[in-house]
Amino acid sequence: MTEATFPQCRIDSERLMNPETTEKLLNRIVSVPGVRRMVLNGQRLPMTVPYGPARGLDNPHPMRKTIHVGDQEIPLQVHVGTVLLEIENRDVVPALKAAIEPVFTDFSFRIKEGKFMKTEPSLVDYCKYGPNADKEMLGLADPSSKSRPIILQGIK
Amino acid sequence: MAYKPQYNAGTSTVAANRRKQMDPAHKLAKLRDVTDKDIVLIMGHRAPGSAYKSAHPPLSEQQEPACPVRKLVTPTDGAKAGDRVRYIQFADSMYNAPCQPYLRSYLEAYRFRGIDPGTLSGRQIIECRERDLEKYAKDLVQSELFDPALTGVRGATVHGHSLRLDENGMMFDMLQRCVFDKKAGIVKYVKNQIGEPLDSEVKVGKPMDNKWLKANTTIYHSLVGSAYRDDAEAIEYIQRIHGLRVKYGFMPKE
Repeated sequence: MTEATFPQCRIDSERLMNPETTEKLLNRIVSVPGVRRMVLNGQRLPMTVPYGPARGLDNPHPMRKTIHVGDQEIPLQVHVGTVLLEIENRDVVPALKAAIEPVFTDFSFRIKEGKFMKTEPSLVDYCKYGPNADKEMLGLADPSSKSRPIILQGIK
Repeated sequence: MAYKPQYNAGTSTVAANRRKQMDPAHKLAKLRDVTDKDIVLIMGHRAPGSAYKSAHPPLSEQQEPACPVRKLVTPTDGAKAGDRVRYIQFADSMYNAPCQPYLRSYLEAYRFRGIDPGTLSGRQIIECRERDLEKYAKDLVQSELFDPALTGVRGATVHGHSLRLDENGMMFDMLQRCVFDKKAGIVKYVKNQIGEPLDSEVKVGKPMDNKWLKANTTIYHSLVGSAYRDDAEAIEYIQRIHGLRVKYGFMPKE
């Protein structure tokens, strides 16, 4: 059987997005049929101060919230600035663009087609997952990360 | 003819602002009021009202060696009292922040005494005796060199200089030392510069508007400000310096 390669696209916003805007955007994205996988990229917002003299102290941050997307709760770990998407086919892109346009009223955004997520295992993936890596997981997270993907069900 | 320093090359407003900030004859405009206590709280080196810790006895109580340089140079207040050396560090956004790290070191060297500035791409640290530092830090925060949204007082975890701003127009800060109060329209520090929570908030005022920032910034930015390539004089100057440095690498013989 021929292995399918799915097209990818990236949504960049002019500003880093507040959790409320991220929630709105993601709900718009999941309403479009044909999105297979999604990665939220941005600056990390750790729970505790990771280094410096205040290392280990709590790090309350107004941009780190739990948002509700589809039927799932997503605890944000980053200040979202970019969303990477793997889609079923290229026809999804115009539909995506039309769906998310109303979210960006105060600042602009750009949607770009290209290759942004890993589709083949790298050496680090091989060390972590072994020879039979689950291709669904590749490119979603750093191999050293312990976090698991969040599966949004019942949106098709 | 008397020597007249030329602080910076260029015909753009950015270059003019750089010259203005570097020139010690230009008095920096005061844009906000911050109390001594606020500055002490933001820096977090000592509790407000507590005594200055010292690194050595006051100079008046010390036996100083006979030294012509010591006779020439008047010690600063902090040095006289034997204060320890402390720091303040600023991170400046590329999105039209009014001052920039490299420039900070220049202008502080022209304007302040007894300082040790350290410059990095996105942040700049200034070290000096504690009571001098508090005086200088107050000047830096109150004046036109500071914008509450685009300049951050950050001792550690400074990342933010080159990142997109957030929706409120604030520079990214992983520790979110200052927050934008939407209702009041002002920026408040809720943590000190290393990220320890403060007992009381420190208000540093309203962020400046885009028009002011564009007119007073000291960084070239082709998307949100004026492009470096549009400043022919600055380009000519930098190309001359570059050319001379490259030629010097080959050790030209006159």
